[in-house]
Amino acid sequence: MSAKLPPGLALQKVDERIMTLNVGPQHPGSGHMRLIIQVDGDYIVGCDPDPGYVHRGEEKMAEYRNYITNIPHLERPVIHDSCNILYPYCLATEEIVGIEVPERAKYVRVIASELNRCVYTMYWLAIYGIFLGHSTMFMWPAGDRELLIDLLEKMTGARVTHAYFVPGGVRNDVPANFEDVCLRQVNYFEKRIKEYADIFYNNPILIHRTEKAGILSREDAIRLGTTGSVLRASGVDFDVRTKEPYDAYGELDVHTNVLKEGDSLARSKIPWMDMLESCNIIRQALEKMPKSGTVRTKLKPNPKGGDVSVYKRVESGRGSLGCYIVSKSRPEPYRVKLSVGSFRNLIAIPYLLKGEKLGNMPAVYWSLNYWPVEADR
Amino acid sequence: MSVIAPKFRVSEFLRSVLDNIFWIVVILTLVGIPLLQIILFYVPLPVYQGELINPFLTLTWISHPELALPLVKAFLLTDMFRIMAFPGFGFAALLAAGVIFVERKMLAKLQLRVGPFYCGKIEGILQLLGDGLKLISKEIIIPAKADKPIFIIAPLLFVGAAAAFVALIPVAPGWVVADVDLGLIGVFAVIGFFPIITVLASWSANSKYPFIGGIRALHQMVAFEIPLILSLLGIVILTGTLNLSEIVESQTNFPWIVFLPIGAIVFFIGMLAELERIPFDLPEAESEIVAGWLTEFSGMMYGLVQLGSYLKLYAFAALFVVLFLGGWNGPVFWPPLEETLIHEGETIGPLTVQTPGLPIFSMEFFSGVIWFILKTAAVIFFILLPRGVFPRIRIDLLLDLGWLKLIGLAFVNIFIALGLLYSGVIGPGGLM
Amino acid sequence: MGTASGIIKALNSGIKHLALKRFTLRYPEQKLKFVGDGYQFDPTTGVGIAGYKGRHMLFHDKCTGCQLCAIACEGVAEAIAMVKVPEEWKQNKKAIMPQIDYGKCVFCGLCVDACPFYALYMTNDYELSSYTKEGLIYTPAQLQVKPDVQQDAEIRIDDRGATHG
Repeated sequence: MSAKLPPGLALQKVDERIMTLNVGPQHPGSGHMRLIIQVDGDYIVGCDPDPGYVHRGEEKMAEYRNYITNIPHLERPVIHDSCNILYPYCLATEEIVGIEVPERAKYVRVIASELNRCVYTMYWLAIYGIFLGHSTMFMWPAGDRELLIDLLEKMTGARVTHAYFVPGGVRNDVPANFEDVCLRQVNYFEKRIKEYADIFYNNPILIHRTEKAGILSREDAIRLGTTGSVLRASGVDFDVRTKEPYDAYGELDVHTNVLKEGDSLARSKIPWMDMLESCNIIRQALEKMPKSGTVRTKLKPNPKGGDVSVYKRVESGRGSLGCYIVSKSRPEPYRVKLSVGSFRNLIAIPYLLKGEKLGNMPAVYWSLNYWPVEADR
Repeated sequence: MSVIAPKFRVSEFLRSVLDNIFWIVVILTLVGIPLLQIILFYVPLPVYQGELINPFLTLTWISHPELALPLVKAFLLTDMFRIMAFPGFGFAALLAAGVIFVERKMLAKLQLRVGPFYCGKIEGILQLLGDGLKLISKEIIIPAKADKPIFIIAPLLFVGAAAAFVALIPVAPGWVVADVDLGLIGVFAVIGFFPIITVLASWSANSKYPFIGGIRALHQMVAFEIPLILSLLGIVILTGTLNLSEIVESQTNFPWIVFLPIGAIVFFIGMLAELERIPFDLPEAESEIVAGWLTEFSGMMYGLVQLGSYLKLYAFAALFVVLFLGGWNGPVFWPPLEETLIHEGETIGPLTVQTPGLPIFSMEFFSGVIWFILKTAAVIFFILLPRGVFPRIRIDLLLDLGWLKLIGLAFVNIFIALGLLYSGVIGPGGLM
Repeated sequence: MGTASGIIKALNSGIKHLALKRFTLRYPEQKLKFVGDGYQFDPTTGVGIAGYKGRHMLFHDKCTGCQLCAIACEGVAEAIAMVKVPEEWKQNKKAIMPQIDYGKCVFCGLCVDACPFYALYMTNDYELSSYTKEGLIYTPAQLQVKPDVQQDAEIRIDDRGATHG
């Protein structure tokens, strides 16, 4: 073409062998983001992820609302894991405003956080099953997740987007006989997820599809800056709950699951093993919880802090989730930055997909525990 | 979602009844009477006991059904009955419809959920009727650049080939639509048509996703035809015949699966791949291609393709039963009709009913059919089960299985059969 | 033959699950039971009372028209607007009460937390569909009506699986 191109665009020669596929947002195998894949026959030679389809400007909007009114907004990036994404925000705000959280609130927060982690992981596992064509692995997690959503709904009042954590504790105490119901349902839940081993994780066809697919070595995992289950599946023993304990995690016995292979099979097993660990944590927290006490410290009407900036991080379903707040003596924060696990794992997608077969694309891409909405915020 | 039934009003009910009667009368007059005239003028009616069949004779038959028996028996032995109703299309289509419903409910139970539930009072029994009516009422959309004649014919060809396959399978002794001496080879000749029809259907749609799906279907079906044929050579060696009815008769004492289990397993896996069922459903429902080669079919064409698919499923399961599980052989579990009942009739109170020629079929026939249906149902259960248990296989493992591992296992099976034959254990003519 | 045993175990697991009970909740014949009457907030202690966050309920004999609920909602969803009511209450000299637009409300409950007079609660009612957008705007008189809900299904666990019953 002889016409002059507008600035920023460039011409690219179309190769005879390489075909550019658009695994776009409206595709049964992609989630809410776009992957531009270049394919040579059956092998992927290049991949260019294109996130940003669900960007809603959460961080910018947070500058116009005060610390309490921010809560329904900041929980929206991951609607079912909403407690975990509010957790570092609440911890940072508590430090800015300078209040202490009561003991019972710490344990209630731990229980809510673990329930949310399990709920998110079940949803992720359901979609992983569907990407691989296994409809039972979609129905079972979606159904068993109801056991925990029922618990969360008794505790917080809403099935998803709970808006439960506030700076100062939690908004309401658990209902009357919550401990018995919780214990019963969590025990049954644990029994159910142990059944997944036979039909999914030890299934020879699944093992053939995911073993040695998308291997991420230990050095690469650390170098690329991945986090969460991706890191632990490559042999790095890092979990924010044990390395930098917050709230009641210091008094609980948390065991980190680490696998060495670094392929898709290991990355899909680690969240499942983490769920079994969560059931243990919930049981311990229910035992050790102080039986009485308030769950919320009263805040002054328009809480504000001085000229400080605080960074806190927790372990969410996807990885370490950090919140950095800059406050300048006003009821609204000056800057809220959420550093989410999905966005950090995004770098691994083009790195791992190069050289893979096209049939392996869903298996590798979704095993990176990537939630598109959270990456876009 | 449930339907909230409107309140019952007698006037509405009467109005709907009168409406129905009105329409039935209109259609009978406008369509029925011309049809009757055509039949009376042009169709040569059969002669029965010296009289032409006329409406008065039919009224006599309605009041004395036992007089109609010989005609019914003669009709049941005609070719048309065989093709349309009993071992042919009607029977297979009914079973296929039952299989679709059972598959949905069984998968739902396996996945701890309720399948179809609201259509029909008990657990959604009429769901299939609802689906059929829905498909008939939808518009058939043909893509603008598609190859119209082939696109329209392709589902019909598919159903036709599936029906041809159904026609070769014997259900009861003597009851097979096409009694061909080379029955087994005929089966494989018909199976060989399916890849061609699939490629025609996908190519004529002139669109990306059907194209990919059609190519994958072609690879898959061609790769698994060879192990399918090889796995049956063992049976042919041991029975010495290719006629399906004779293969069943050679299993009066034991089914062949006892001696050739490896062949049965290879045939079963090959069968799953030919039917495009999970775990081998790459051509159809994939998270990469929308619905594979079925993407562009809408309305009743889709209905016909599904009918063809499930007829094929019934036919393959029936073939498995005929070849490996003993067909209709099985103990007769109720005694034949008593002799006195046949000759002297039954006395109920003051009435004596005599029905000469009553046993339309022998008890062996009934028990044979029932054993056949039970065995087919068991095989169909094992075909439907992997759908809930396995993920989809990737194409390189599929080709590896079809061209390497299954052919190897099929050859092992042939060696076992030859060993059995030459060591004198078994052969054509039974145990030696 | 690890593959064969893996396949047989998977099929076995599948067949075992045919004997378990079905878990589905048959809505609308069965509706889930919630704890208590709905989310409430106690301004003296500053802690909420656990309950489901459904439609709001406004107590006309306690609302003073202080607008704190509308102010709390401004930053979240702007679903509460104060409107004039034709009633005369001693504590409500301005005669204004909140009107909630359920097309915008996100059911977060911050308005309930903001009310200092025990006047705004949330109830167990979640079936709020309407044919028009205007039908979703609930006036203070509509918010006064106590919901009539029949909810009695809950999760039951026994040997043969969990059901909603």
